[in-house]
Amino acid sequence: MSRLSAYLVTVALVCAAVVSAAAAPQNEQLPAGPMQEKAAAACLSCHEARIIVQQRLSKAAWAREMDKMTKWGAPVDPADRDALIDYFSANFSPEQSPYVAPRTSGKPVSKTSAKAKH
Amino acid sequence: MTSRRDFLKTASAVALAAGAAHPLLTWADDAAAISVPGKEGMIVRSYRFLDLEMPVELMTEWITPVQHFYVRNHMFAPAKIDPSTWKLTIGGEVDKPFSLTLADLEKIPQHTVTNAMECAGNGRSMQSPKVPGIQWGKGAVGNGKFSGPSLKTLLEKAGVKDTGKHVMFRGLDEVPGKVPPFIRSIPIEKAIDADTLIATHMNDAPLTTHHGFPARVLTPGWAGAASCKWLTEITVLDKPAEGNFMSPGYRLPNTPVKPGEAVKPEDTHSVTGLAVKSLIAGPGDGAKLKPGKQEIKGVAWAGEADITKVEISTDGGASWNGAQLGTDHAKYAWRLWTYAWKPAKSGDYVILSRATDSQGRVQPDAAVWNPSGYLYNAYDQVKVYVQA
Repeated sequence: MSRLSAYLVTVALVCAAVVSAAAAPQNEQLPAGPMQEKAAAACLSCHEARIIVQQRLSKAAWAREMDKMTKWGAPVDPADRDALIDYFSANFSPEQSPYVAPRTSGKPVSKTSAKAKH
Repeated sequence: MTSRRDFLKTASAVALAAGAAHPLLTWADDAAAISVPGKEGMIVRSYRFLDLEMPVELMTEWITPVQHFYVRNHMFAPAKIDPSTWKLTIGGEVDKPFSLTLADLEKIPQHTVTNAMECAGNGRSMQSPKVPGIQWGKGAVGNGKFSGPSLKTLLEKAGVKDTGKHVMFRGLDEVPGKVPPFIRSIPIEKAIDADTLIATHMNDAPLTTHHGFPARVLTPGWAGAASCKWLTEITVLDKPAEGNFMSPGYRLPNTPVKPGEAVKPEDTHSVTGLAVKSLIAGPGDGAKLKPGKQEIKGVAWAGEADITKVEISTDGGASWNGAQLGTDHAKYAWRLWTYAWKPAKSGDYVILSRATDSQGRVQPDAAVWNPSGYLYNAYDQVKVYVQA
């Protein structure tokens, strides 16, 4: 990778992080990584990725969630269990900044409390 | 200037060029907003299945408009319920099991209860250490007016046997995979309270699908999970219902545990009534305020108890003063409150609110940690800057 493209990738990643902090996208995605495809296949038929990406859990807690979901029918090859736990705990650990949820479109009917605007 | 969309395209192209993108990872078109008709301006905790939170700054009215009432679905909402064929069955430990249509339900004497409904997990994101579950902020709570027959009327018609100790509810949620169905029960004592309803209306209109059309349970003062939506079956049992949503779900440690500590199932009990709690609706966290008079406002509720006092601190908890409670009140409902404040000088302030109830419970400075993050009720807090 040239220095220029390395720089552009860094800029892109930093900016993407800023964009996601401002407002998470409609179709939340699981992050890139060797287990992304298997995680998507295991989890996303029953719920969207947003339920995963908003968690900030220890590895032990991710292991408990994985085992619970497998019991509830998530198709997980036992050989992939540990790698999936690593994937989730590497991406969604307590050290990461909180997930910023988007809002549904359209105007609220209620009056916003006075001076609540930033 | 490059638009955000152009920038994202560029970023995507760069990522692709660097081999960083996976075929499944596409830049979402974040210009396309999430549209949930009838639920505008809500915080999206989950879209599929739907979990929506009310922004705290909208908690300015005694009755929460349906548009802003939080939604907590454990599963998928039923795709379609035909009210002309919908039926509610009542059975189990009763003498005369029977079933009702929606028209039958509407012929039974109607009762209205204004209730502050709160999800047991409201505030979970503020627990430390973090716990799994929907990461609710402050707004999985709303104050609604629910109407329908008392559950007691139906139970009397069926004739509960002496063996009937718990009343179980089943909804028409669509359950994916091998996920256990959302089944819970409440003790018979709460079930025969005249204020526990089979509600068909919310805020004087038929329930919307998001809130359980055509009928839901209203177990007033209790965590929302006791108020089953899309109700289709009532079964009287000789003991609490079994299943994930009774245990290990919706349980609290019998005695406080060290944050992060595991708890044995036998050392837990079911979540029932809500805690005493207040929230600050305004000013918003991080607000920059003009100098002079300010109005601090919010809501407070206490489950089956009444709010007796809301106090405000504008000095980070060193001193407290009483807020003015709103005139609208009802058993189980939340109470609006306001506090007139004139900051002495410019600078940063930490505003805290704490509520006290008729059982003598006081909102604590730190919530009691528990493994599922239920009933979070620490003082509410906003930080503001008063300009010179």
